[in-house]
Amino acid sequence: MVKINLEATAVESREQRLGTVVYWGGDAKELVEQSGYSKCGKGKRGGEGCRLCEAKGPFTQGSVCSEQMVECQAGNVREAVLIQHSPIGCGVSQSFYNNIYRVGLASRNLPVENLKMSCTNLTEGDMVFGGLEKLRLTIEDVYERHKPKAIFIGTSCATGIIGDDVDSVTAEYTEKLGIPVIPLHCEGFRSKHWSTGFDATQHGILRQIVTKDPVKKQEDLVNVINLWGSDVFGPMFKNLNLRVNYVVDMATVDELAQMSEAAATVSFCNTLGSYLAEGLEQAFGVPQVRAPQPYGISGTDAWLRDLARLTHREELAEKFIASEHERIAPEVEELKRKLSGLQGFVSTGSAYAHGLITVLRELGITVNGSLVFHHDPIYDSEDPSQDSLAYLVENYGNVEDFTVSIRQPFQFYTLLQKHRPDFILIRHNGLAPVAARLGIPAAPLGDEHIAIGYQGLINMGNVILEIVKRKKFCVDLSKHVGTPYTKWWTDQKDPNILAKNPDIIWEGVK
Amino acid sequence: MTKQPSMKSESISRPRYGCAIGALHSAVAIPKVVPILDCGPGCGDKQFVSLAFYNGYQGGGYGGGATPPSINTTEKEVVFGGNDRLRELIQGSLKVIEADLFVVTTGCVSDIVGDDVQSVVGEFQRRNDPVVYAETGGFRGNNFIGHELIVRSIVDQFLGDYDGEKEKGLVNVWTELPFHNTFWRGDLGEIKRILEGIGLKVNILFGHGSAGISEWRTIPKAQFNIVLHTWLGIRTAEHLQKKYGQPFIHVPVIPIGPIQTERFLTEVGEFAGLDKSKVRSFIDKENEAYYKYMEDFTDFFSEYWWGIPSRFAIVTDSAYALAITKYLVNQFGLIPVTAIATENPPDEYCERIREEFRSVDCDVSVDVQFIEDGHVVDQTIRSAPQPPAIIFGTTWDRDVAKDLGAGIVEVSFPASYEVVLSRSYVGYRGALSLLEKIFTVTISKSA
Repeated sequence: MVKINLEATAVESREQRLGTVVYWGGDAKELVEQSGYSKCGKGKRGGEGCRLCEAKGPFTQGSVCSEQMVECQAGNVREAVLIQHSPIGCGVSQSFYNNIYRVGLASRNLPVENLKMSCTNLTEGDMVFGGLEKLRLTIEDVYERHKPKAIFIGTSCATGIIGDDVDSVTAEYTEKLGIPVIPLHCEGFRSKHWSTGFDATQHGILRQIVTKDPVKKQEDLVNVINLWGSDVFGPMFKNLNLRVNYVVDMATVDELAQMSEAAATVSFCNTLGSYLAEGLEQAFGVPQVRAPQPYGISGTDAWLRDLARLTHREELAEKFIASEHERIAPEVEELKRKLSGLQGFVSTGSAYAHGLITVLRELGITVNGSLVFHHDPIYDSEDPSQDSLAYLVENYGNVEDFTVSIRQPFQFYTLLQKHRPDFILIRHNGLAPVAARLGIPAAPLGDEHIAIGYQGLINMGNVILEIVKRKKFCVDLSKHVGTPYTKWWTDQKDPNILAKNPDIIWEGVK
Repeated sequence: MTKQPSMKSESISRPRYGCAIGALHSAVAIPKVVPILDCGPGCGDKQFVSLAFYNGYQGGGYGGGATPPSINTTEKEVVFGGNDRLRELIQGSLKVIEADLFVVTTGCVSDIVGDDVQSVVGEFQRRNDPVVYAETGGFRGNNFIGHELIVRSIVDQFLGDYDGEKEKGLVNVWTELPFHNTFWRGDLGEIKRILEGIGLKVNILFGHGSAGISEWRTIPKAQFNIVLHTWLGIRTAEHLQKKYGQPFIHVPVIPIGPIQTERFLTEVGEFAGLDKSKVRSFIDKENEAYYKYMEDFTDFFSEYWWGIPSRFAIVTDSAYALAITKYLVNQFGLIPVTAIATENPPDEYCERIREEFRSVDCDVSVDVQFIEDGHVVDQTIRSAPQPPAIIFGTTWDRDVAKDLGAGIVEVSFPASYEVVLSRSYVGYRGALSLLEKIFTVTISKSA
């Protein structure tokens, strides 16, 4: 097992730790095999399995960066402040993360407020002379204003290149202010996939916020690594006499600190939770649930049983599982009847997509294709029980057209033309508008918890029944509004043609 | 950046603008023009989700949103330079994306490591491919600055020189910053309508009323330029004056309502040498329509039992702040208690802007403050001697509005609680929409 290194201030990127790729095309079974995770006994980080070939072509559309994931996690911690050490352009997305913070707070019945972030606002002179003095003054300003319990400092492409020694300033102010001032190294160019930003935030929290050697343990507390989703885990855990500790978004600094006192850690998505869960286990002895993700009936069963094992609540869990099976069965049957014949397509983050496809298939919906934004050949635990793609393929069958593409609408266009699904499930922006132009409605899963657990089946079924009706809007739109792609591209059948034959772009050029 | 007395740093919380590369939206705003982003993986997304999504949910349209080609800089380009990657991306874009013009906008990485973007783009320009570039690294300034850099790059690299005839009555209009101003689409439509109403042929240049590149190609032929903004566009107009010998007229007040719109149209009409009676007859017709609605509105405004609030604070860019303040003060007698301009205008324009606010009306003078940091904005609104009953601002100002019991009218980026399609707040028709919005908000507070 590779040790999580909490000595270094910067987290190792996903591609370094897990062999992450962001472009790949084939079928899911093939990807499972090539990943060599739970298969072929190669399941080691940095091992043979981590050498997936990446299908990157010369044409790419805009993506998302690690710093944004730092904003959406560290920037959404209550009683803390995130400083973006950057020119103002990195700061502009505060408006976006403020919106989801406000919506999230409201959905959890917490007081709605603006998030607390500041951008050091570096300008031309700072690129020459360095921005550390501005960083110092900004730390003093935000401390004066908010008296936060922790200050996160997110770096940027600009500060990474000019080489600002952020670590020395954070050390200086941790000492001076008596609160954790935490460097989060998240330069956008440093990693090809934005989820390194999750890891950067979680690394900083593990290093400087989580209580070391806690004097007490809370045997009924479970860390739930999530985003802004509604309180789905709380009511579920009540049946097991467990309490939730939601992290990282909207948690207070104290709630982050008490993670080491918890009995176990779970997550709604291995992509998000991999690093923090493993870090808590390795460095603080808090075990993580090692089971399939809690999607669909069998996944949820296994997940609950492992949680029960870790928290010694097997009896309660079996009772809950049995009663839930009985409760949802008639409704799920009814939904299956209504959803029969539908074809869906899933385009979300990686492990989340694996979970959603199981939910769709349990509802009897056909899923022949998926576009995920990246692929981690292995997760930090290296435990085969967390190989979510293998779990999907082995228990629910292959996904014939499984494309890894870092949110590339032009490739998505080709995939949709090929599959013509009745609806798509999405989370990140940029793809649903393409589908709409082709007459295909999308369900945006802003509340990431909607598909979780037993109730998730019912929730998703009902969401899909509503969404497919919106086909009317999309079909009407498709008659009047086109896409910005050339005829040459729209004639292509293979979304990865440019990766396979990059010189094709120069054809006809003298 | 004007440092505020209550803070040590020049930091900005709750930003009310993007960086220079945010002006990629100025390219998107021209029909069938697509930006190519020579920047990090998140730069385009950050600007899009902020300026074009959580700001009235304006959407990416044809070539915006997640569509723009982007090199998504990795360590490789940082260490070895990004020229090769940019070259293949431009060529790939020509192959995959249907556009009349591509505008390469650079980000911090490219500008710091010193990529030779000019020479890469030059290769395509020599092949007559429609590609221009602008250096818009975020540290160079905000999206207002970036806007003029992009406009200039299109003028200099794509339109080029022109010494032909001028077309009398053809005007280029440089006004609100597309996308940043939440209502720009509707506003530009109304500005075009009223200028056409007095007999001009209008190059509105951005938005659904623009013909796109074919319209841009006629920029050099225009009789003159209109800068309808407190300052944005002056540099462009000065450049066009030098380049094409075009005069320009600068009108700092974007007109809202009949009094200001009449002033604007009369002034422009005189500058253009239009037939006065034709201008007059359009104004009369518009006035008549407007005041019919005012007759209806009078019942509400004069005898709504529970009172109509008077005191307002306004916090937005200087042009919209001035425009709305003028209308509400001059035509309704509302009382401005705080006015804050948030877009960091270049120093040389600040005194002129202050003067415009000082002379809002013969009996009303406003001391406008230039503030960019959200925390200081908040403190400033709270410290007004009399609290405002209405705040014209952004989503950021909802918390202070709630605390003060004021109504919030989101008129500026970020307006995350507004869905805006064609709504306009300017001219004759926009004024009516603005009134509807303001008073719907204020009376909704009662229940």
